[in-house]
Amino acid sequence: MTRSAELLPENVDSAVDLAGIPLRNPVLTASGTFGYGAEFSPFLDLTRIGGFVAKSLTLEPRFGNPPPRIAEAPSALLNAISLENVGVEAFVREKLPALPEGVTIIASIFETSIEGYGEVAKRLTGVPRVAGLEVNASCPHVEAGGIEFGQSPSVLAELVRTVRRSTDVPLLVKLSPNVTSISEMAKVCEAEGADGISLINAVQALEVDVETRRPVLANRLGGLSGPAIRPIALRMVWQAAQAVSIPICGIGGIASAEDAVKFLLCGATAVQVGTSNYLNPAVAGEIADGIVAYAARHGFAKVAELTGALLDPVGPPQS
Amino acid sequence: MVKTPRSPSGPGEPVPEPLRAGATVLEVLDEGGANRRIRVRVEGWPGFAAGQFVMIGAGPVMAAPRTDPLLPRPMAIYREIDGSGSPDLEILFKVGGRGTALLSEARAGDVVSLVGPLGTPFPGAIPGEQAILVGGGTGVASIYQLARERTRVRDGSVSVLFGARSAGDLMGVDDFEALDAVAVSIATEDGSRGSSGLVTDLLAAALADGIDSSRARVYACGPVGMMRRAAEVAKTHGIGCVVSLENHMACGFGVCLGCAAPLSAGGFGLVCREGPVFDAEAVAWEGLP
Repeated sequence: MTRSAELLPENVDSAVDLAGIPLRNPVLTASGTFGYGAEFSPFLDLTRIGGFVAKSLTLEPRFGNPPPRIAEAPSALLNAISLENVGVEAFVREKLPALPEGVTIIASIFETSIEGYGEVAKRLTGVPRVAGLEVNASCPHVEAGGIEFGQSPSVLAELVRTVRRSTDVPLLVKLSPNVTSISEMAKVCEAEGADGISLINAVQALEVDVETRRPVLANRLGGLSGPAIRPIALRMVWQAAQAVSIPICGIGGIASAEDAVKFLLCGATAVQVGTSNYLNPAVAGEIADGIVAYAARHGFAKVAELTGALLDPVGPPQS
Repeated sequence: MVKTPRSPSGPGEPVPEPLRAGATVLEVLDEGGANRRIRVRVEGWPGFAAGQFVMIGAGPVMAAPRTDPLLPRPMAIYREIDGSGSPDLEILFKVGGRGTALLSEARAGDVVSLVGPLGTPFPGAIPGEQAILVGGGTGVASIYQLARERTRVRDGSVSVLFGARSAGDLMGVDDFEALDAVAVSIATEDGSRGSSGLVTDLLAAALADGIDSSRARVYACGPVGMMRRAAEVAKTHGIGCVVSLENHMACGFGVCLGCAAPLSAGGFGLVCREGPVFDAEAVAWEGLP
């Protein structure tokens, strides 16, 4: 596709529709990296971004793992927090009302049983500020759940089916990268009625301290995130985009507008910024502005037109 | 952005709203051995309360944001160079890993990313407080501002006990000695400066000297073992102890949950948000890594 003249950024329409969730721009922030939103208000006007995905919620409040919980790896963060959260009731009663109007909120859900997922989804259905749900099927560091849900196609199918029956709000399923075929997992989600998929979650990883001869994390295994995993994530988004026609939210090591555009070109409708929020709590807003500037510079009147606009002899997925 | 006015540290009092900025490096001073003192200018700096910290990028930002090392480092704010309200900050650190090595190589004019001020500050003074500040290694960086504020009030007394492995590892002694009416004592493990032994031995001796336990309070910052021992010593004399914990953290403002420290009441407290200052009794010391 050839594009004509450059446009002015103010003439670019930044809005996208992600699985029935209208977003003012395609930049969300990833679950587990953005707290419950209010933590970022000193640094970032939350209405500057498309929205955010809140920390994964369980029916009851949960404590996380003992320390050490985090470690650094080359261009990456290794973590095993284990889904510490305030519980779904406190989220609805205390966290949601603390957020300013005009902020788009997607709730992330997690439980240790498929029925539990369904119950959390039901509790969040009809809650006015919740624009959509994201099923965390891929947390790589909870022994009782997490990885199993997202790693077995049949278990994932049952999970998505159950949550789908529990709610009529837009439903995203966040996929684990720790699978043999991401395309197969994406197809399972589409077949069971998911409105969209988010990928990737953290890559399961291990780091060792040779002096103490121990794993650096108390939990031993953790999830790797940050710029190091970005090309892996991009590959998986590209593969998933060719396998399904439901919208994709691209996640994995996005640190700049250029990074985000790569995911859009490979078929993502929107992106989530994760680990980079820690380094620069205003980065998601800068990325949103940068995507619009890119679109303008390349003559795209709508940011949505960037989705799947990769020039590739194989051809972009038609969706 | 609305800035809360600068306030003296005190429980429940508002602390300045943090900002994210590029901090311009003014200079990096070699303080001997691995010790460094970095001076940075932060436009719009809102002030801070004693005990607060900043997240500072591991090395200067070049053409593109640095990804390796990826994470910023939490560092205590030592002081505002020209006193309250100055945008020029001083931070003391020790070169340990690659992040601090890169930061030590920053040159005047380089820009490093900075988020702060962060964390819960030290509590306000007891009336007529006899403050005993115990600093081990780089831990002294967390207590200079406290000493400065307590001496300014001129109500009570301030003594500072320094501990280090060797004379060359000591930091900031001259700054503390330059403060009005601060009694400074030093212990080094090899006896190369001050008394020979641990700083907690100095503390034990100071408290055994006779002290009004209703007005005394110990403030400790340094290695975990040192703080734990300081708290035990204080407790045997019926004196309260406040500690400033250090931990790895990715964000510094309560979202990564990486810096959780186990609490004696059960569960965890975030060093970045509930801390770094904790009552020593609230910390489950045996669970700290």
